[in-house]
Amino acid sequence: MAMHGMRGLSIFISDIRNCQNKEQERLRVDKELGNVRTRFKNEKGLTPYEKKKYVWKMLYIYMLGYDVDFGHMEAVSLISAPKYPEKQVGYVVTSCLLNENHDFLRLAINTVRNDIIGRNETFQCLALTMVGNIGGTEFAESLAPDVQKLLLSSSCRPLVRKKAALCLLRLYRKNPDVVNVDGWADRMAQLLDERDLGVLTSSMSLLVALVSNNHEAYWTCLPKCVKILERLARNQDVPQEYTYYGIPSPWLQVKSMRVLQYFPTIEDPNTRRTLFEVLQRMLMGTDVVKNVNKNNASHAVLFEALAFVMHLDAEKEMMSQCVALLGKFIAVREPNIRYLGLENMTRMLMVTDVQEIIKRHQAQIITSLKDPDIRYVDVILQLIDKAGDFISNDVWFRVVQFVTNNDDLQPYAAAKVKEYLDKPAVHETMVKVSAYILGEYSHLLARRTGCSPKEIFSILHEKLPTVSTTTIPILLSAYAKILMHTQPPDQELQNQIWAIFNKYESCIDAEIQQRAVEYFALSRKGAALMDILAEMPKFPERQSSLIKKAEDSEVDTAEQSAIKLRAQQQTSNALVVTDQRPANGATPSVPVSQLSLVKVPSMISAEDHTSTNQALSEENGTLRKVDPQPPSADLLGDLLGPLAIEGPPGATVRSEHNAVSRLEGGLDAVDGSAIVPVEEQTNTVQPIGNIAERFHALCLKDSGVLYEDPYIQIGIKAEWRAHHGCLVLFLGNKNTAPLISVQALILPPAHLKMELSLVPDTIPPRAQVQCPLEVVNLWPSRDVAVLDFSYKFGTYMANVKLRLPAVLNKFLQPIPVSAEEFFPQWRSLSGPPLKLQEVVRGVRPMPLPEMANLLYSFWLMICPGLDPNPNNLVASTTFYSENTRAMLCLIRIETDPADRTQLRITLASGDPTLTFELKEFIKEQMVSMPTAPQAPAAAPPVPPAAQPTPQAPQIPANDPASLLADLL
Amino acid sequence: MIKAVMVMNTQGKPRLAKFYEYLPVEKQQELIRRVFAVLCGRAENVSNFIEAESIFGPDSRLVYKHFATLYFVFVFDSSENELAVLDLIQVFVETLDKCFKNVCELDIVFNYSKEMTLLENIFWIHTILDEIIFGGQVLETSSAEVMKAVEEISKLEAASNAITLIPKSASGWRSR
Repeated sequence: MAMHGMRGLSIFISDIRNCQNKEQERLRVDKELGNVRTRFKNEKGLTPYEKKKYVWKMLYIYMLGYDVDFGHMEAVSLISAPKYPEKQVGYVVTSCLLNENHDFLRLAINTVRNDIIGRNETFQCLALTMVGNIGGTEFAESLAPDVQKLLLSSSCRPLVRKKAALCLLRLYRKNPDVVNVDGWADRMAQLLDERDLGVLTSSMSLLVALVSNNHEAYWTCLPKCVKILERLARNQDVPQEYTYYGIPSPWLQVKSMRVLQYFPTIEDPNTRRTLFEVLQRMLMGTDVVKNVNKNNASHAVLFEALAFVMHLDAEKEMMSQCVALLGKFIAVREPNIRYLGLENMTRMLMVTDVQEIIKRHQAQIITSLKDPDIRYVDVILQLIDKAGDFISNDVWFRVVQFVTNNDDLQPYAAAKVKEYLDKPAVHETMVKVSAYILGEYSHLLARRTGCSPKEIFSILHEKLPTVSTTTIPILLSAYAKILMHTQPPDQELQNQIWAIFNKYESCIDAEIQQRAVEYFALSRKGAALMDILAEMPKFPERQSSLIKKAEDSEVDTAEQSAIKLRAQQQTSNALVVTDQRPANGATPSVPVSQLSLVKVPSMISAEDHTSTNQALSEENGTLRKVDPQPPSADLLGDLLGPLAIEGPPGATVRSEHNAVSRLEGGLDAVDGSAIVPVEEQTNTVQPIGNIAERFHALCLKDSGVLYEDPYIQIGIKAEWRAHHGCLVLFLGNKNTAPLISVQALILPPAHLKMELSLVPDTIPPRAQVQCPLEVVNLWPSRDVAVLDFSYKFGTYMANVKLRLPAVLNKFLQPIPVSAEEFFPQWRSLSGPPLKLQEVVRGVRPMPLPEMANLLYSFWLMICPGLDPNPNNLVASTTFYSENTRAMLCLIRIETDPADRTQLRITLASGDPTLTFELKEFIKEQMVSMPTAPQAPAAAPPVPPAAQPTPQAPQIPANDPASLLADLL
Repeated sequence: MIKAVMVMNTQGKPRLAKFYEYLPVEKQQELIRRVFAVLCGRAENVSNFIEAESIFGPDSRLVYKHFATLYFVFVFDSSENELAVLDLIQVFVETLDKCFKNVCELDIVFNYSKEMTLLENIFWIHTILDEIIFGGQVLETSSAEVMKAVEEISKLEAASNAITLIPKSASGWRSR
């Protein structure tokens, strides 16, 4: 060191400290660098001491954060100085300033080698450290044998040997051939017998690298590693200085387990037994204690042990033990343990068989989402970035809620989303969440470079051409907010944004149009804008919809699956276009297809068909293989002309739908949603399970399988709140080949506003895609929405029409009413059309409690005691739609104990349509029940994805994001 | 492997930076700034781990410890155990604590009133770090062993007329 007497250096440092700002500092540094440069250039024959002086100065400048691109030669030359202080400075400074690509380094190889093979241990250490930090390929070639010798030498001190081990690791990374020496694996195995824990730890790091590259060669090391674990964890045979807070060298324990995890299996029964004994001890013997450092150390070992147990594919019992431990960790207060607990749970999910056990901890996992740790935002943004397709709206809504409610997070989140937007490809969900957050909070970043309102605006606006109509409104809001936050106003930015608002004023999408018009008008109000567009207030602490969803799914699994097929009484109004084509479309050149319009029931019972509608009755089920080049689309196109049923899903469908309705006006008030082309086909792909039954099952519960065939499984998960619904379609590819040209088109009935998020064109092999579908109920109706789904596998195209379980009862919410509430209402609704009564015959006979259960399964709340006659049932419920709002419905069912096949139903509500529709709906449920396939109908309720069943699509085992998303 | 070690004070001033993979100085400075931007936004009651891929590229994590006015930051990849790296920070800090006399605020070590002492301190801190981490790998985990090695070097120094380190035993620091 000997820096005493270096007056110039002292003055320089003092000058630097007195600099008022960075600019001054830079000037002073430049001056000094010039100074040193001149010295090096002009004064030949600097003494080592003088050189050292300048080299120190360079190092100091370097540490201030300035590049020092000269004087390297001088630094390197100090290495060969005979005296320790100069040599030391030479090595230290060279390690700092140079990297392996510097030519000067080559000049030092010989000196370095001499130091390594010399007798001076201090010099050996200096040389090894320098090579270990910046040694390149040439060092590897010329020094490896010498370094190996040091490592294996028994006469060498541990201080040198442990450095040699890591130096060799560096050289191995530069040139893997350095260990291609005969018997090297055996020597490694011998090294593992070392008593000194310092050398052992370094050797273990070396072994990790070697084994990760080629475990085959190092089998002999395996039992030795187990022995070391035994020595540490079981025998506690460790010198005092290697006991860290009472734990026998946690690092060595961790490293040993890392090495072992690189071996695919451990077969030797004895080794395996010893190992499990040790692991068991680790799993059992760790408790959360007060001392933070002790806690960290013991859990470092424990988490590694958990990872190892997963790797070993241990018996289920041990696995359950691990999950139980993790369950404990994610509930502790210590944030590090909780963090790693959650992370390891995610890893655990990839191990089969434990998902079910993990589900027990779901509530805790979800609670963890409230952690104040910013990791939630980080993790979710990462999730959106990597697996945007799998993210439902709820997830990003939650991010917004979370950021809004945590002031500290706002600038961070804004900076973070901006980073993501800077990436070349951004998922649309990311655009949504970014637009929201930047709109609200980007002004908090305004002082940072690249974050001026203008820049934020242009980053966002770049994305506009790439996004769908559901995202544009969010972007428009963000623009309005950015504009509002730009103080003083920026004329140019304002003009730009106004031009955009103007452009969208005539947009066909009502939401976009409205926002454009309103923001334009608002933004001309000047200061008044501030109040209207002020930051969103904090969200009330209410249950997150994600938690709600998780809880719902728990209820579902518990729910009994009393699934009954419902049949159709009424001939409905559906219009079906049939396109009768020659089988297999064998003659595509002859486009003669007879198109006929047929009336069929809109809800068809498979058993109830006539010969006429036999083919048609499969409307909701038969999957058709369509020839790859069918003229049918054209034919259909010709017929439906401007309707363009094949068009993209989403908002456009709605407007088309209106067109359909108008067209149908003349055709007996047909529900456009049921327009489906039915083709005569012979080579159909058989769906798995009965599609009608699946649909009926889903009418009663909120998650399950909608459709399945050998290639795809479509699951549904739904959440209903008042007149809103959110369905998520889970499209799972069961194949090992991708499903392509995937198209999902929603054909909504007039009373439902439905919006399907983007469905990707391709579903990768064994992947599952989630497509949220937003539903708004406008008025009461029993009409049913249809999902027109098609995909291609290989050269075949498959197309299927599926009814969606967005049915009337989904918008009901049971509500108990007391006698005081019931009777005045009942009397005030005195007669038709608000109160309707009907005697129904042909009722499926069932005991009264069963009927009560049936009613409850449709969310009609039985109100016992209101009717003095024990053979009667009184029920109440609230119906939600945009037109009716929340509307109370009262129901009375009188049964005849002498004849259970008939009953009288009376229904009252404040809306005539509702009264009629609900009465018809209940009637349908009572009257005709399936006669044949009861058993298969009782299929277990399968929430898609979270609960794998034999038929369920394989969850991509390597995709923790989707696993986590599913779990959540 | 450990990719980098950084020490910075709570104002964001870097006190020590060691990168075990070569990076140009400007890049190093930028990374330090970005790390600080993340750290200063973190509350006290959150974990010590941060996913650092957006700053350091794929397969990077960051663990930090906050002592008095300093942040100690280690960046590493998935080949390391997170908690073990956190332990290593503790070893580093405890060793520094033992090596420097009369230090209750470590930041002072980096900001000595005497210019020469500053450089000496920096030198010793590097030396201590080099005895704990070697080329991005854990070299020594026993604080006592590190002390031994450093004392040896210090004796050599003494022989050539330099300062000596007077080890100090009990530590008055509290980690959070």
